[in-house]
Amino acid sequence: MIDKFEYYFVAINRWLLIIVLALMSLIVFTNVGLRYLTSHSLEWAEEVSRHLMIWLTFLGCGPVLRYGGHIAIENLQDILSSAWSKALRALIALMLFVFFAFFVYFGVLYAQLTQYQQTPATQISFAYIYSALPVGMSLCFIHWLLVVRGYVGERRFAQDTQFDATSSASL
Amino acid sequence: MSASVILLISVCVFLAIGMPVAFALGLSTVTALVLGANFPLIVVLKETFTGMDSFPLMAVPFFILAAELMSGGSLTEVLLRFAGQFVGHKRGGLGYTNVVTLTFFSGISGSALADAAGPGSMLIKMMDKAGYGRAYAAALTASTAIVGPIIPPSIIMIIYALADERVSVGQLFVAGVLPGILIAIAMCCVNFYVSRQRDYRGDGELPGWREIVRTSWNALPAILLPVVILGGMRAGWFTPTEASVVAVFYALVCGKFIYKTLEWKALPDILWKSSLLTASVLIIIGMSASFAWIFTIENLPQDIANWLVGMHLSKWAFLVVINIFLLLFGIFIEPLPGVMVLVPILAPVASKLGIDPVHFAMVVIYNLTLGMITPPVGGLLFVTSNVSKVPMSALTKELTPFLWTHGVVLIILTFIPAISTWLPQVWGFKH
Repeated sequence: MIDKFEYYFVAINRWLLIIVLALMSLIVFTNVGLRYLTSHSLEWAEEVSRHLMIWLTFLGCGPVLRYGGHIAIENLQDILSSAWSKALRALIALMLFVFFAFFVYFGVLYAQLTQYQQTPATQISFAYIYSALPVGMSLCFIHWLLVVRGYVGERRFAQDTQFDATSSASL
Repeated sequence: MSASVILLISVCVFLAIGMPVAFALGLSTVTALVLGANFPLIVVLKETFTGMDSFPLMAVPFFILAAELMSGGSLTEVLLRFAGQFVGHKRGGLGYTNVVTLTFFSGISGSALADAAGPGSMLIKMMDKAGYGRAYAAALTASTAIVGPIIPPSIIMIIYALADERVSVGQLFVAGVLPGILIAIAMCCVNFYVSRQRDYRGDGELPGWREIVRTSWNALPAILLPVVILGGMRAGWFTPTEASVVAVFYALVCGKFIYKTLEWKALPDILWKSSLLTASVLIIIGMSASFAWIFTIENLPQDIANWLVGMHLSKWAFLVVINIFLLLFGIFIEPLPGVMVLVPILAPVASKLGIDPVHFAMVVIYNLTLGMITPPVGGLLFVTSNVSKVPMSALTKELTPFLWTHGVVLIILTFIPAISTWLPQVWGFKH
């Protein structure tokens, strides 16, 4: 039951990211192309692609967490005894849950506060854009629930064939 | 206690116990606001959002995607053959091949980790087979991969230009070319000495000119990418962000129709991987933005700037101090949050002391990137050790001559500003 949920949950999250990044690229590229071919550009292109990027970041935050792609400095945990390092990871796990919950709570509040403001070019409610924060952080919360046991126990994350967690988040 | 102090203490504690950097930044911001400042907590979200809501920042996902599309195919092999034909037959030939391939690959990717994990891992295997020490090969790869963020395109330069309005992305990109080549030459020098000492033999001989023309022709589309990016930006055809999206479609066309190694059905996986890399970078940008904002509510950047200016340092003394500070700082902190937090504080001081902003940017970027190969906490060391299966201790031992050489290059770059500023000037890259 949980396995099946996890499978579809990750799959949906994955396709959302793929679609958003593809859309972003297409919109910005089309805009450059149009400007040269027709000397005409889409005035909404910049705004929409920018907001898609924010959605991309928050939708991607959870899966990155799932595969252990958020860099951390783990030297201290390495030199501690296994019991102590487990205790530290339990503490971190708990603090992350609190952090995600904080972002979800205030994110909803923020989206509500701004729902009557409209974006300049497309005239849609800002709530649709700010919702990226609470939605993304809820996903983080769920992803974290799914992998947290492996993390606390032995700093183990889920694996992905494409994404090499050690080569992320840095330059 | 002031909010800034709480912020710094809490972030150090969170980082030390091993909390992911992005959340350590975010959570310490929240802690500082709860305990030390009278602001509604919702500001954290606003500042995080504002930090990411930027069109220039979009060059980051697009350059990541372009590099993924390019390196998906046989491009690494093409570049490798191109580089190898000139230097492969010399003593230590594969070492030079490694350096030259990574340098060319840096013109496609914007990150050191992509260099090390992609062509780097392949070259380590080849060097190992050819009788080079595996640990040496890994150390050479890790220290050469530093050119990734120095030679354009570069993710860290895009972010630097956001943090300091005195420089533009185009200027920084062009400014990186000569320092990048200088670093590559320096790494070749180390390879020269080590290969002579250990007698690492070359392989084959210089191929005929027909062969050379053919391999070079094959490699041309890949080598042209940075030229298209820089040329297009210089000509005013497109902004850096547009250049990055042009790079995406250029890579797509190259992979699909020229090298014919990219298949449509591989696209979802490439997009998936790129979006995860993007998210892991941008979430740190957002969180660093709200983190750095706490300083500004207490006017700390201004105070530090006044204090530094009040010390009446000459600009060279200031640069030396900055170098030492950044090297120490870089040992523990990743370049990304480093740029976001430090540049808004340091860049105004540098410019007040008469240091060229482009020169200062190069010094800061090189310094912080070096932090990725200084033990014990170096992202680049982890990746290289991981892909090469060389234990960290062996890697660190072989790294010593490279670190000293990087030190020398750093001194050269610090005291000869022209290496960074000359090319943007003659090429007419203005702000």
